[in-house]
Amino acid sequence: MHEIYQLASGILVWVALIVFVGGTAGRLIRMAITARKKDAVIYQYFSFYYALRSILHWIIPFGSMSMRARPAMTLVAFIFHICLIITPIFLAAHVILIAESWGIGWAYLPNAVADIMTILVILGCLFFLLRRIVQRDVRYLSTPGDFVLLLVVAAPFVTGIWTYHQWSGFEIAGIVHMLSGELMLICLPFTRLFHMALFPFTRGYAGSEAGGVRRARDW
Amino acid sequence: MNNSRAKNLWLLIIPALLFLAAAVCAQGYITKVEDSGFEKHTRPAVSFAHDAHNEAAGIESCNTCHHMYEDGKLQDQASIGMECSSCHLDGYSGRLELIRVYHLQCKSCHLDQKAGPVQCAQCHRKEE
Repeated sequence: MHEIYQLASGILVWVALIVFVGGTAGRLIRMAITARKKDAVIYQYFSFYYALRSILHWIIPFGSMSMRARPAMTLVAFIFHICLIITPIFLAAHVILIAESWGIGWAYLPNAVADIMTILVILGCLFFLLRRIVQRDVRYLSTPGDFVLLLVVAAPFVTGIWTYHQWSGFEIAGIVHMLSGELMLICLPFTRLFHMALFPFTRGYAGSEAGGVRRARDW
Repeated sequence: MNNSRAKNLWLLIIPALLFLAAAVCAQGYITKVEDSGFEKHTRPAVSFAHDAHNEAAGIESCNTCHHMYEDGKLQDQASIGMECSSCHLDGYSGRLELIRVYHLQCKSCHLDQKAGPVQCAQCHRKEE
């Protein structure tokens, strides 16, 4: 158990961080090169003003028509994404481990708040799972990989709350928690999860075209 | 004159010895890691049976844990009876620093020795 803990809290953290940062940078650079080759005109009409206008409308809840058309999905998606990103960064246990390793620290959430946010992430995953099964158009577009990816995202949160509450088998859950968190970071640049880094570019692209070429709204 | 100085000395030595004896005996009754530096706990306090732990771990010298540094150098004397917070709370970020050194004290030794708890929940057990 000590060996695997040391591995998961040591070298694998570095592997995960390097793959995450390196993979993200690599894919973004490749995207820029591909765009230059196949869609060079975007470099002509790309506009920061229209890009930011589009991004802004799409990061504000109910800021776009499509979000207003699906209120339940919008609500769940916003709560899910906020909790997904904020909880791990500001979790007391994580901040403390980082302070131990790197000697830096920042404010952390009360445990009860983090607990609720974790439950919201897990409920969000269940919502997206049901949506993929129940809603016909989404089911048609779903691949087996999408279901695996939902599991990859849910796993660190399920095992995290498990080990925090010390339910039976919490020691194994603690190890699986670390490994699955690292797996999620590694998967991020190479799967659908990459929408995290692509979002400003896809919106910027659509926003520039809608604003500068079509003279229309894209939200 | 000499006599009264000797008396004064004894007045110092006897309470000091009593304090040391009390401090050494008290170690045996320590069952929880507690420090007044923690105004509120992030997790439940850690159960720790001082004598049983040291017997199992084969720790004989007090300053293996109760270390004392002067000018960055480890001293022979031990810091028995002092709370960790009396030195470690004036670090860069207060309570987080105190948590950090407690964890380094226990966990890094457990990892080196490949014995003893290392995960959060293994030490900070919920009250049963």
